[in-house]
Amino acid sequence: MKPNPIMLEVFKNKLSSVSEEMGVSLNRTAFSPNIKERRDFSCAIFDDNGDMIAQAAHIPVHLGSMPLSVQAAIAEYEFEEGDMVILNDPFKGGTHLPDITIVAPVFAENKKKPVFFVANRAHHSDVGGMSSGSMPLSTSIFQEGIIIPPLKLIKSGTIDKQLMRFFLNNVRTPYEREGDFLAQIMANMTGIKRMEELIEKYGLKTVEFYAKNLMDYSEHIMKKTIQQMPDGEYGFEDFMDDDGIEQEKIKIKVKILIKGNKAILDFTETDSQVAGSINAVYAITLSAVLYVFRSLVKEDIPTNMGCLRPIKVVTKKGSLIDAQFPASVVGGNVETSQRIVDVILGALSKAIKEQIPAASQGTMNNVAIGGINTETKEPFTYYETLGGGMGASCNSHGESAIHSHMTNTLNTPIEALEYSYPFMVTEYSIRKNSGGIGKFCGGDGLIREIKLLSDAEITVLSERRKLQPYGLDKGQKGKSGQNIIIKNEKVIMMPPKFNTKVKKGDILRVETPGGGGYGNPEFKKQNRIK
Amino acid sequence: MDIVGVDTGGTFTDFIYEHNGTWGVYKTLSSPNNPADSLLRGLKKVIKSDNYKIVHGSTVATNAILERKGAYTVFITNAGFEDIIEIGRQSRTQLYNLHYKRSPQLVSKELRFGINCRIDSKGKVVKDIQESEIEQIRHTLEKIRPESIAVCFLFSYLNPSHELLVEKYLSDLKIPISLSHRILSEFREYERSSTTIINAYVSPKMKRYIQNIIDEIDNNELRIMQSNGGSISADVAMKESVRTILSGPAGGAVGAYEIGKMAGYSSLITFDMGGTSTDVALIDNKLPLAFESKIADFPVKVPMIDIHTVGAGGGSIAYLDAGGSLRVGPESAGADPGPICYGKGKQITVTDANLYLGRLVPEYFLGGNMKLDYKKLEDYFKKMSDDIGLSEIELAEGVLDVANASMEKAIRVISVEKGFDPREFTLFSFGGAGGMHAVFLAELLHIPRVFVPQNPGILSAIGMLMADIIKDYSLTVMVENDSTNFNEISSMFIQIDKQGTDDLTKEGVPQDSIILEHYLDMRYLGQSYEIMVPFDEHYTENFHNLHKQNYGYADKTKKVEVVNIRLRARGIPAKPEFGTAEYDKPEIDAEAFLGIKDVVFNSKAYQTKIIARDKLKYGNIIESPAIVVEYSSTIVIPPKSIGAVDKFGNIIIDIQGD
Repeated sequence: MKPNPIMLEVFKNKLSSVSEEMGVSLNRTAFSPNIKERRDFSCAIFDDNGDMIAQAAHIPVHLGSMPLSVQAAIAEYEFEEGDMVILNDPFKGGTHLPDITIVAPVFAENKKKPVFFVANRAHHSDVGGMSSGSMPLSTSIFQEGIIIPPLKLIKSGTIDKQLMRFFLNNVRTPYEREGDFLAQIMANMTGIKRMEELIEKYGLKTVEFYAKNLMDYSEHIMKKTIQQMPDGEYGFEDFMDDDGIEQEKIKIKVKILIKGNKAILDFTETDSQVAGSINAVYAITLSAVLYVFRSLVKEDIPTNMGCLRPIKVVTKKGSLIDAQFPASVVGGNVETSQRIVDVILGALSKAIKEQIPAASQGTMNNVAIGGINTETKEPFTYYETLGGGMGASCNSHGESAIHSHMTNTLNTPIEALEYSYPFMVTEYSIRKNSGGIGKFCGGDGLIREIKLLSDAEITVLSERRKLQPYGLDKGQKGKSGQNIIIKNEKVIMMPPKFNTKVKKGDILRVETPGGGGYGNPEFKKQNRIK
Repeated sequence: MDIVGVDTGGTFTDFIYEHNGTWGVYKTLSSPNNPADSLLRGLKKVIKSDNYKIVHGSTVATNAILERKGAYTVFITNAGFEDIIEIGRQSRTQLYNLHYKRSPQLVSKELRFGINCRIDSKGKVVKDIQESEIEQIRHTLEKIRPESIAVCFLFSYLNPSHELLVEKYLSDLKIPISLSHRILSEFREYERSSTTIINAYVSPKMKRYIQNIIDEIDNNELRIMQSNGGSISADVAMKESVRTILSGPAGGAVGAYEIGKMAGYSSLITFDMGGTSTDVALIDNKLPLAFESKIADFPVKVPMIDIHTVGAGGGSIAYLDAGGSLRVGPESAGADPGPICYGKGKQITVTDANLYLGRLVPEYFLGGNMKLDYKKLEDYFKKMSDDIGLSEIELAEGVLDVANASMEKAIRVISVEKGFDPREFTLFSFGGAGGMHAVFLAELLHIPRVFVPQNPGILSAIGMLMADIIKDYSLTVMVENDSTNFNEISSMFIQIDKQGTDDLTKEGVPQDSIILEHYLDMRYLGQSYEIMVPFDEHYTENFHNLHKQNYGYADKTKKVEVVNIRLRARGIPAKPEFGTAEYDKPEIDAEAFLGIKDVVFNSKAYQTKIIARDKLKYGNIIESPAIVVEYSSTIVIPPKSIGAVDKFGNIIIDIQGD
């Protein structure tokens, strides 16, 4: 049977609608600001093997890793109608512990086994562990919070209250977590309902046929995109500042082989996994690869497993970007993922120079603050990530103060922040002249300054504090970022990754990196073209 | 006294008017370079007395932003926060674009001024404002002479003293000033700043435009349509122009609501399909409001009729993409070159597909004044269907299927995604192309009936005439429900109630016809989205119920927070009345039959009656398949559905599909 171009387009609409409707449901019902205001979550649907059919455009770092969660759940359980499996174990389908995934089967036409799966993943602002906000400077996974292997949270429609109670007893903000779980469950129920409606209308065979064809469709377009790159081998390496424990920089290296319509990315010369928490599991590396190649496609295609079929990713087990148990991994998802993108783009810039921008800020600048609010006596944990400069392109300046590549979370409005937390924001501005100069300049980073109104514990996980985002084609590097604590007007420079206790009245100031410039600065173009 | 509704759109300016109990409609080409021209020109045609009242919806404010032709505006805020409007929410709207660019700012960096002052989250002054700093800014402004000033300080809605002080110091510059606490007294600084800046940016232009009209209409009353579905006096519209953005589509929704209600249908999904895009809205006994929308990527947080737009219309272009999928839109052939059948186009559009299948009748398109070239289509359909490997008929039906799928998706967003079941609604179709797609869409969504009003082409202008006078007020109060009660919240309304009553009195609404509607924006403690809940003794109950409806669950054990209080002050003007006809009979008069032609439905040709709408009478039953033609629209009634004409001349189609 040959796919009908009309039905193909109709199903593209319908299946993307399903994942988007799941996202609307999750976004609107979630409790924590991290999910609702910042939209740190993703929703997707999968075929019976756990291959992703469609994902709503939410957070790129979840892209390649969601299917591994679903596959881990399938591997461990026989599903019955009304079941849902929860997990966050990075070594069994997760990425880092705060990202909790809930997987649910879709049944139809009296089949014994699930015909599809729906799943969503959300970043919870606390899952226990050694520091508030669960983004610690850890040296082992056991310090990072509660590890959930794939477990049936819901059996035939009934929530396992014992399991829920056990989990909630291990986190700092149980009330918020419970609300977020409920929202995640609702989102899956929305997805199941919509898939059932589709199957009822078109019949299972047709839905399965077009789901498969949509993967072929994306594969076909991805192959065309790769085909247009010149054949050859392109290498690039870049470094992480440090792992937060030792001072040494850590190498990530890729060799990309483009041959016809296929690409092989070989990361085997990357350094070994480290003691500090920036280890990335394989799922993250896969996500970074998928993100970059998906961005090179000019057409608007469904992001699904078809995109990855022409691409092979080779890693060395036990290396920084394919970390093994019991490595600490909490920062791999947010920091190392950005550097993996940098090296892939750097290598590709040697093949398709005009399509690749200079390096963006290369970090998410994770800030977690927790403590007891002196006024209300209630515990609080707050987590945010900060935008920075985007790299310049061959024909335009980079944007300033914006999230790039593997994340796209929103900031929390200052007026919302100060209502809920004992903070006063004393500056939020664009960090002038931090973008690398070039014919086109990199975007500037930003400055966020928060004064604490209660004693608190601060954890910062950041990168590009020592090494700078690269420029391209003679463009200069972007400025590296700075982490500063101000105590009684005394300025203390902090390392890229730190955890410290601060007093009421102390100030945290984060200056994020600028993006790299593009092209010779001698031919610098007027900054903002109106 | 005559009354006139005027809707200025991109292509046409529509008029509906009443003189001594008779109604008339008039259409003239818009004059984008000087929009007052077409309005004044048309008025001369339709006004037949010295005494008249005009309600007008204009695109002046919207176009000022879209075309970047607003005022030279400066922005004053807290020092250290001048870039907030540029940082926005630090996110990008295109995830997979390595070269993403934001929309250029309305106020560039060097025109933003910071003052060292601060108010905290309880409204307490932490750092007071130094007058010397304002003086310094004043000096600069005297030199650069901006046309408009926007001011937004953190937490100004809790304590406006700093904003008021700035206004006081700058008032003798005689430059219009927009203060954020007046435009939008709600928390979230980026959205409030953006709304205030947009107001400052569009107001001077709107003021000139309105003044231009006032100068020409003697002392007759001019009211301006707002995007919230109500009208305001010309005077207020000049100062708070941000409230007029998107007033055209709002007019359509109000028209649908009023005409639907008159005919006995108050649960409607409106469907307005035009040349390049389609607007849909859901009316569940009341006009739907949204409290945040975007224009050119900038958030605007004033109440607006909640209208969802999708880039599919009659001019949307069909093509086969690189992966072998048939795409329709969002590229549109527009008015130039237009669809192939208009003569110049070279790519198949939705309109071409309708014509190819026989659903558009060339002889009666725009009264036969515009020639449609059917012959020309054949080559294009042959070529494209050969390329794809389908028959021409399959291709034409496929183009419509794909267009319908994206419009179906748009309707799902406003219905299913918000907890409404389309089966409980009537699809209210208007706009030029709507009638050709409405029944098919209703079938896809299991909507049981389609409603096509009289004069579907000028519904927005009708809506403007029927709109209430509405002023919206809001204030962030942020209190936990446990620590407050009905009486205490009632007392929070006292001040804005007084303001609302005063303002409506100024609008000329008699005291006894002022209605004050109270609402609360509420949420569960910890949530960051609010639901608007009617405020009465049962407001907490109302909140749980609405939460359950919108999001599928409610938890009465969880703490609830009251975020904003809202007042809609409403004045109900005398509304035009439309006469009703005497019942005639089910059989359609012979003179209404224009002929029979072959039309394709479900890949089969059906002998289909062509019927003239203006010859239909109350009680007539239209058996399918049929095509009803009128000057500005075509209604397709495919096999299995049945149409009926009501006493107002509306056509109601019962969907008998599966």
